[in-house]
Amino acid sequence: MNVNEKFSAIRKGLLEFLVLQIIAAEKVYVADILKQLSATQFATQEGTLYPLLSKMRREELLDYEWKESEAGPPRKYYKLTAKGREQLRETLEYWNEINETVKKLGQP
Amino acid sequence: MNKVITINLGGNAYQLEDGGYDLLRNYLDSAAARLQANPDRDEILSDIEAAIAEKFRALLGSHKSVVVAKEVATVLTEMGPIEAEAEASQTGAPKEAAGPGAAGAESASKPRRLYRINEGAMLAGVCNGIAAYFNLDPTLVRLAFVLLTIFWGTGVLVYVIMAIVVPEACSPEEKASASGIPPTAQEFIRRAKAGYYEAVKNFPDPKASREWSRRFRREWRAYACQWRHHWRDKWTGPAPVYDPRLGYWLPVLSLLVGIATVGWICASISLLATGTVCGQTLPDNVPVWLAALLLFITYGILVGPLKVARHLCYKSWGQPGPIWPVVLLLEALVWLLIVAVLLGLGFHYFPALREAIHVLPAMAHQAFEDIRSWWKG
Repeated sequence: MNVNEKFSAIRKGLLEFLVLQIIAAEKVYVADILKQLSATQFATQEGTLYPLLSKMRREELLDYEWKESEAGPPRKYYKLTAKGREQLRETLEYWNEINETVKKLGQP
Repeated sequence: MNKVITINLGGNAYQLEDGGYDLLRNYLDSAAARLQANPDRDEILSDIEAAIAEKFRALLGSHKSVVVAKEVATVLTEMGPIEAEAEASQTGAPKEAAGPGAAGAESASKPRRLYRINEGAMLAGVCNGIAAYFNLDPTLVRLAFVLLTIFWGTGVLVYVIMAIVVPEACSPEEKASASGIPPTAQEFIRRAKAGYYEAVKNFPDPKASREWSRRFRREWRAYACQWRHHWRDKWTGPAPVYDPRLGYWLPVLSLLVGIATVGWICASISLLATGTVCGQTLPDNVPVWLAALLLFITYGILVGPLKVARHLCYKSWGQPGPIWPVVLLLEALVWLLIVAVLLGLGFHYFPALREAIHVLPAMAHQAFEDIRSWWKG
């Protein structure tokens, strides 16, 4: 089992965190999110993202609005709610703590 | 050469090669199966459809109008398998994962209640509320009320009574329990409908749009034709022949039915308002609802034979006599009279109805303006 496979569960768990971060920066629609993720280790697909987004919306972390697009029907643009921003802040803090721990442990 | 199938995806028409259609069907079916337990199942499915539609649109151009099977397969691989939420939450904290799911189940099992729903209502939202309660199309319920008014004259009154008795759904929770759907899903349905109609308005390819409407008309015509044949057979079966003179009784019977109806309504109102029927006070151990039910049953027993008789009068319609126009005129006058009496009663007892009639022209004007600005904008 290589490293990539070992971390697949962790990547899966982190995806929600990354989606929060992407949406925090600007209002995006799903293809934008996929494009930003595609260049990273977290590249994913609509089949995973849509259920995740709907779950996050049910938890009131984010909301969406319909916007006209130049070509084709209107699209859903996602944005964070206050609760979502709070969650992102907490997660970032926690993530930094984990990073510290990983760096510190085993050091003399 | 392959067969082509036209499909509707996110409100637009697409033409797929036969094999591609099967692939897409399989994908969407398995997605639906995987999302079985997901409370947002329909929303996710419609998102997925919209995303597939967008990918198809990117493939098509002015010289290319059909998506071939191989392209469908590529698009579906790009989409990836639908991940059921259970899989995703296994990696997370199990306690947290149980939270929203449990909440969803709770709101789903919430008992339904009958409310009036003002959003999208024509008058007071009674039909809208009934439709939400029984999960029907509001138009059907409105039609039922109109038919009830035309044939039995009771629709208006039932409506007025319900408009006063049934509470209005104001908070999101009340709106949710009016239809048994959680508020988020309702909001979704509203948004999706708005998006869908916009998409229809901006139908991109006039040729596809024409083909679409032509196909729709053809199917509709076939359906209507079939329906007519079916019913003609039913109506023109060997019907018994009645004496045409029977028809002359029609207005008289209608008048009797009308009198019985008005009597019943007056008795019901007096029962609800003062607890007395024709000056008789109810015995202590009879609740009001039971008395109202008994009143209704009595009314039904009285009116039932009259209605059967009226039906027979209509049946003798086959041989129109010379006096038929007069009979029909009388019949119409009788019904006008009954409706007038009912409206008079309504006006007398319910100030809300008076107000409703006053604001009606302004409401109609507003609705007309809204539709016009929507169509232009």
